Amino acid sequence: MSHSSALTISNISKHYQDGGRQIEVLRDLSLSVAAGESLSVTGPSGSGKSTLLNLLAGLLELDNGDITLQLKDATFSYRAASERARTALRRQHIGYVFQFFNLVPTLTVLENVRLPARLNRRPELEAQAEALLRDFGLSDRFHDFPEALSGGEQQRVAVARAVLLKPPLLLADEPTGNLDAENSAQVSDLLFASCRDQNITLVLATHSNEVAGMADTQLHLDARSSSRSAP
Amino acid sequence: MIPLALLRFLARTPWSTGMALIGMALGVASIVSVHLVSASISSRLDGLVPSSLAGYSYYLHRDDLNAKDYFALRRLWRSGALPEVDELSPVVDETAELEGLSVRVLGVDLLAQAPSARGQASSNQFALDGAWVDPSLNGRLSLPVNGLIEAPEGTLLADISVAHDLLGWPAHQLSYIGLVMTHSFDASVEFAEQLLPGFGAGFPTSKPNLNVGPDWQLVNMAEQYPARAFGKSILFNIAALGMLALLVAWLLIYQVAVSWLRRLWPVFDRLHGLGVEWQSLRTYFLGSIGLIATFAAGLGLLAGWWLAAWLLAMTVPDQTVQLDLNAWVIVKAFGSAWVVCLFGGLWAFQRSQRGAPDTLVPFLTTIFLVICATVCIVDPETGLAGGFFAIAVLSLAAAQLMKPLLIRLKRWSSRIGGSYLLRVGLREALWHPEELSVSLAGLSLAIATAIGVGLMVDSFRLDFSQMLDHRLKYDVIAEGDAGMLSQLIAGSELTSAASRVQVYSSSEIRVDGRLMELNVTRMDAFESTRYGHDQRLDRDEALLSEQAARALGRSTGDTLTVAGKTVRVAGVFSAFGDLKPRLIVDDANSIAKVLSPVLSADSVAFQSSHPQGLAGALRTSLPGLELRLQTDIRRIALKVFDQTFGITTVLISIALMVAAISIYIAVTTLRLNRQTGRQLLDTLGVNRLEQNVMNAALGTGLGVVAMIVALPLGVMFGWVLCAVINPRAFGWTIELQLSAGAILWPCVWGMLAAIIAGALQVGDREEGAFGGR
Repeated sequence: MSHSSALTISNISKHYQDGGRQIEVLRDLSLSVAAGESLSVTGPSGSGKSTLLNLLAGLLELDNGDITLQLKDATFSYRAASERARTALRRQHIGYVFQFFNLVPTLTVLENVRLPARLNRRPELEAQAEALLRDFGLSDRFHDFPEALSGGEQQRVAVARAVLLKPPLLLADEPTGNLDAENSAQVSDLLFASCRDQNITLVLATHSNEVAGMADTQLHLDARSSSRSAP
Repeated sequence: MIPLALLRFLARTPWSTGMALIGMALGVASIVSVHLVSASISSRLDGLVPSSLAGYSYYLHRDDLNAKDYFALRRLWRSGALPEVDELSPVVDETAELEGLSVRVLGVDLLAQAPSARGQASSNQFALDGAWVDPSLNGRLSLPVNGLIEAPEGTLLADISVAHDLLGWPAHQLSYIGLVMTHSFDASVEFAEQLLPGFGAGFPTSKPNLNVGPDWQLVNMAEQYPARAFGKSILFNIAALGMLALLVAWLLIYQVAVSWLRRLWPVFDRLHGLGVEWQSLRTYFLGSIGLIATFAAGLGLLAGWWLAAWLLAMTVPDQTVQLDLNAWVIVKAFGSAWVVCLFGGLWAFQRSQRGAPDTLVPFLTTIFLVICATVCIVDPETGLAGGFFAIAVLSLAAAQLMKPLLIRLKRWSSRIGGSYLLRVGLREALWHPEELSVSLAGLSLAIATAIGVGLMVDSFRLDFSQMLDHRLKYDVIAEGDAGMLSQLIAGSELTSAASRVQVYSSSEIRVDGRLMELNVTRMDAFESTRYGHDQRLDRDEALLSEQAARALGRSTGDTLTVAGKTVRVAGVFSAFGDLKPRLIVDDANSIAKVLSPVLSADSVAFQSSHPQGLAGALRTSLPGLELRLQTDIRRIALKVFDQTFGITTVLISIALMVAAISIYIAVTTLRLNRQTGRQLLDTLGVNRLEQNVMNAALGTGLGVVAMIVALPLGVMFGWVLCAVINPRAFGWTIELQLSAGAILWPCVWGMLAAIIAGALQVGDREEGAFGGR
């Protein structure tokens, strides 16, 4: 496992405009996470957890500061990147697991997992999708549509899809927030183990202290429009 | 506070609100324009019947009818033997040459006060020795004119005795006896006619069984005015097509109401949770959608009026038409918008609140209606209305089919292959039966109507063109008054340039009491082939037009008595566009000999290797003749044909446009409710171009689903129009031709409409009931 810094966040800020009012969600946040390590982000609602993950995914633009992600043979700087470049980054180098609506409802389980391979024209990964689903205990659900799966099963499919490309960064936004204790533990174990095994940097937002405790590093954000670095 | 929240919601989603408004307005515009066009044509057709005869519903006729017969009948009526008859009067009705003008002389018993005297000169102008004329005869006749009447050109109305004098008839001779017969459902038909102009013509008219003896023929007054009956049939077709446009418009208005509700439902759910009663929420919902309906109806009324003026200018460019924006059309516009919105909205609200009821009633009702429709197709007695009822039921059944079809396709959709993004788009079209089935039914209906009418028009055009190929065997045709034509026939140096000269004479006659046109000419093998008969017509034979055969109930091989002579029907020929039933005999036929005093030459046809030269020579020698070249006749005939169907093309285009907007509204609502799905794809790195491809695939999927229903439905419509509607409306049959163009073009336009509706993302970024970051 490499311990060089894979993800670097330098003095980033983000605010939203609500009519004439400006709401500052993140201010001067800086941190770094090594390749293959995990970071959990906790904090009350509105503290900026999802905003941070959306910035890391390139879905939102930074107001100030920069984020860099170490790729195989280059460093990607979010600040300088166009929307198009950030979309390409998400497609090729980032996995994402949401709390709800993780799967495309009109694709089968196998198609959902294969989707990143298809989007990136990497047919060699398609067989691996089946292997991942088998490893995750979903060998009998290949051709079912998501609506036929339980919440826990859907999250396992989402984790399989997120790790298929072996991306340098995997983002998970409350991945266990909608699950019972048993499923929550199962999904968390899968997520952390898969990232560790495949040297994927994991950033995970959660309300659960138990899940947060599984990460190598913890970051707590407060609700006063400012940020605090990890201890 | 809640109304304020709803108004803010309308203002925050301007594009969706605007589309709902435009969609509904377009629906109302199509309703208004069809009504105005139909009402205008209907009023012109009513003008074909002289106002003095407008009240008669039937007439009685027998050979050598005279005053004695009339008084015998009147005695019978007075004795109570004819309870169905409210009034009866003697009528003289014949066309004659008066002072060089062809005049239709109507003689009625003015002392008996003929029914429906509206439009006649007032009683203080009453003078038995004079006449009333239509404006075209005013000042052109030497007899005293008492006043002007509403009647077709060349009509003269007088007392019976004056009519006898003008015609040179003996004092006791009559043409027929007019009967006034009212039915209990006349008021309902009149109401339906006001609401849907032209619809009255479609209802079957059962002939009453009068106890007057076997030698009398009872004939519907409509048969006396074939041009009016023909026009009313066209009008009924337009009205029925307008009904389909109305149905699509209603589906759109309903779709708008449902989409509106879906977007507001999360707000209502929360408000109900806070203690607001469902009843109040329902009132607020209906109020908001009613507000949009009111604006849309006003807008649609104006747009419909403009559209009707444009349509009429296109179809009858040489006539000035007044459009009457009366109370009926205003009620119809606002009524359609409000009733469909409010009832549809209420129904949708209750379904959202209580869930869809699990009942077999709609299915069983549809089965029952399909059985009734089958009876209507099989039984010609159900008339035009029966044919269009069958089309309406087919539409209803197809619309009902849409939801189960989507559910079945959804189950099958895992087999869709190809690119994953295309799969997502295509499956999205099948995934939401509740949200999309109504608008997809509307689109299917619009496409099916276009296919059906297109097939009918193409089949008709082919048959019509073949008929022209048969008929147009002469290069030049000369028409004019009898004297000039006699001069032409006699002038051997003029006709020597032609390789064949054919003289046609004609007269109006009554056969079994029905008014028909008798054509007399040399029916050798060449001439007979023009009517599809492959050998010369014998002296005891006659050819009947399809309309004549249908009216008389005769077919090939039957016999027929005309003017006391019996002839065999040698064949039946197509006569598209003929207003009157027609009978053709050879000039050596005994009928021709008996009727020779009333026969007059009305045209002469020539075959020539130099038609232009021959026409030029004829024009120089006899400038009063009207000369037509074969090529001109074909061109003009086909132009008139295409012009006639121009209005149907516009109506179908409106229906397609309305259906496309309906699909767009449904898809936009679907997307608003599924923004999270779009966020997921964003997160996976699906770029804008790929999302556009997915949206186009969604539109294509919608188009394909619509086509699955529209194709068979359209072919069925085409068959019903050709085999059921046309024979009942016009008396001719058309062989259905499955032309590729008629099927392909509506599919292309329908598919394009669906793809545009799916791909168009304007307004997509508006927020649903809940905004959020």
